[in-house]
Amino acid sequence: MEPILSLNHITKLYPGVVALNDFSVDFAPGEVHALLGENGAGKSTLIKVISGAIAPDKGEIQFKGKKYSKMTPAISRGEGIEVIYQEFNLVDTLSVAENICMGERYGRFVDFKKMEEKAAEIFTKFKIDINPKETVESLSTAHKQIVEISKAISKKCDLLIMDEPSAPLTVNEVDAMFDIVRTLKAQGITIIYISHRMDEIFTIADRVTVMRDGGFVKTLYVKDTDRDELISLMVGRELSGTYPAPEKTYEEELFRVENMSGNGDKDISFSLRKGEILGLAGLVGAGRTELARLIYGADRAEAGKMYLEGKEIAIKSTSDAIRSGIGLIPEDRKQQGCFLEQSIEWNIAFNNIRNMSKSGFVDRKKVRETSEKYCDILRVKTPSLNQFVKNLSGGNQQKVVIAKTLAAQSKVIIFDEPTRGIDVGAKHEIYELMCSLADEGIGIIMISSDMEELLGMSQRILVMAEGKINGELEKEKFSQETILKYASNC
Amino acid sequence: MKAIDLLKKFTIIFVLIGLVIVFSVINPVFFSVQNFTNIFVQQSYVIIAAIGLAFVMISGGMDLSVGYQMSMVGIMTALAMMWWNLPMPVAVVIGLATGVLLGIINGVAAVSLKVHPLIVTLGTMTIFQGVSYIISNSNPIFGLPDSFKFLGQGYVLGIPVCVLIMIVIVALASLILNKTYFGRYVYALGSNDEAAHLAGVNVKWMKVCVFIISGFCVAISSIILVARAGSATSATGVGTEFTCMTAAVLGGVSFKGGAGKVWGVITGVLILGVLSSGMQIIGLGTYPQYVAKGLVLLAAVGFDNYQKTAKVKKVD
Ligand SMILES: Nc1ncnc2c1ncn2[C@@H]1O[C@H](COP(=O)(O)OP(=O)(O)OP(=O)(O)O)[C@@H](O)[C@H]1O
Ligand SMILES: [Mg+2]
Repeated sequence: MEPILSLNHITKLYPGVVALNDFSVDFAPGEVHALLGENGAGKSTLIKVISGAIAPDKGEIQFKGKKYSKMTPAISRGEGIEVIYQEFNLVDTLSVAENICMGERYGRFVDFKKMEEKAAEIFTKFKIDINPKETVESLSTAHKQIVEISKAISKKCDLLIMDEPSAPLTVNEVDAMFDIVRTLKAQGITIIYISHRMDEIFTIADRVTVMRDGGFVKTLYVKDTDRDELISLMVGRELSGTYPAPEKTYEEELFRVENMSGNGDKDISFSLRKGEILGLAGLVGAGRTELARLIYGADRAEAGKMYLEGKEIAIKSTSDAIRSGIGLIPEDRKQQGCFLEQSIEWNIAFNNIRNMSKSGFVDRKKVRETSEKYCDILRVKTPSLNQFVKNLSGGNQQKVVIAKTLAAQSKVIIFDEPTRGIDVGAKHEIYELMCSLADEGIGIIMISSDMEELLGMSQRILVMAEGKINGELEKEKFSQETILKYASNC
Repeated sequence: MKAIDLLKKFTIIFVLIGLVIVFSVINPVFFSVQNFTNIFVQQSYVIIAAIGLAFVMISGGMDLSVGYQMSMVGIMTALAMMWWNLPMPVAVVIGLATGVLLGIINGVAAVSLKVHPLIVTLGTMTIFQGVSYIISNSNPIFGLPDSFKFLGQGYVLGIPVCVLIMIVIVALASLILNKTYFGRYVYALGSNDEAAHLAGVNVKWMKVCVFIISGFCVAISSIILVARAGSATSATGVGTEFTCMTAAVLGGVSFKGGAGKVWGVITGVLILGVLSSGMQIIGLGTYPQYVAKGLVLLAAVGFDNYQKTAKVKKVD
């Protein structure tokens, strides 16, 4: 069959980076075509070329038989290309319905009722309860993502591009999203799907194109390949499929929370051993991030006590938390994690900048050494430490956020969705990093919506639902069913 | 760095040089040590106030009350000397303390009301205006002592005192913004205050701090202005906020916060100063000067944006 979209010899250069290198690929009509590659491989750049957000330096784009040397956003939308970008593109102060219907017109005046109905209809498909009248800024990250997806699918299109749509979602929403994708596919819509979660590719995609360092590696039928082959094509080396585990175990308690309430969470108590990796499971809205923020002093707790190494600690602010040795890697890197308009070096040193200063003056040498060290450990892909964080690929931004917390040298680290948007290779590096931190005796609390990773990495799992801890599982008892049972509170 | 990048980075310095050349060609009188000294003496108080405002703007805030803070500081300093017969140094301390106090009021109001500083200072500006006129009873305060006038009119080692004070403030501000962690906190606040909060920055305290710095700079600026005039009225300094804002924006301080440099602010003020002085010398009055200043601002900001979007089209 004639491909609906062909990219021929596309090259895109950034200062110091070849983002796309003579890249060619065809997309067949009505297929779900996955793009796979490490962080910074050029996936987002490729879709920006297709949508016309950027112009390639060389090459040609052919869509529905017409040839273009570059697209523009107006042409691509006019021709029926819709994109869900990796980063949110919502107007925070407008309502959910207005965001979804942005750019559409019914008659002369704004018809709120119609917009709200339309939004509600899509949310029913998602089996999710979001009020169309609510403003976007009050939504959780997951719900924002659903709004973002709804916005794209509410338009008529022939090609739908989804750049890591599942990253902030948990199992149930991903399933609902896949149902929607299947419906769209049945209507003959072509879908380009980007994800770092391998199992999703096997669930939803027909074909997969692997890319590495901006170059084309191979296009395969999903049914003819397997996980290991894809990974080795993608990273160019073998990776063990298993999760690493810390080597040492400690017995003594490191950190304890007693009867913590606030922020929608009620009466939370748990303890964390030295060198333990404790998983927090739960559905969207279960109160996991809220708990993390209470512990970290980002929101004020109404009640509760915390003990670190046997001593009670009073945490009234985030700086108290950092000083006591508690670190948080927040879930939303763009809003909470980093300073996009500042350099990598500046960002990494920031959490600990006071200790890198002598009588108030920043020690530039120390700052440079520290950020070099953590960039190396986490293998942040960048031509220079002076690069602005906004110019990094999504996954590399996440690495900067992690580096920033590590550089503050904490005893307890809360990882809130640490591998969101991170490729398999780098995920492995982060897992190994978590293990080596645990070996040093650091206690780790890990919040993750990626069930597989949660089961693989945790030594113990607490399941939360509606602001309460609903169950606790030891490693031997881990199973997805039990967790979901506790999480859905029945 | 390539020449084109240099040009982009230092655009406004080239604008300043360009203006100086244009005026010098039209009227060579413009190009004299005397005239340049004049410009510096005239603009020193604006530079100091603009630097204070820049702290607030870089942190993502805004201070509309600069002018009436100056008015209050001027009145307080003058009446301390003339009505309460306090010695000059004590009066100066009272003036500075007034500035700091007004800064605290602005900062605390912004933090506790959780309203954008633009709105808060719109309110406090009006309040300060009222208080200043109530205190002064709309009367000017004349005959300030020579020891005080020295701050605005005197020379040390052949350099005007006000310029010396300005140099000290400029040096301190650059040091704080570029070299200390406090400076990084200011930028962080303007770049992303939620991320700053999660990184352990006491966001509320920082917001108050930048207003205190602004109030302090404004107080120094006002003292210099009053000392130069030799008298204080409640109208002293009023309108400076807009000059400062124009200069800051010209100099690349972002309205959204998170970006801005001290040298940019200084260049911004000097561009405005050169424009007034140059137009004066070639015989154009105050009103054409307003038109020119407005046009320069729009042109500079427009050019900057054009460049940025052009870059986005090309790179992003
Ligand atoms: N505006 C920019 N300026 C400079 N370099 C850029 C810019 N945008 C992207 N890059 C670089 O281009 C490369 C490809 O980035 P891209 O965002 O396409 O990666 P990606 O495959 O989507 O990665 P991820 O999985 O992390 O999202 C990266 O090395 C990135 O640093
Ligand atoms: Mg990407």
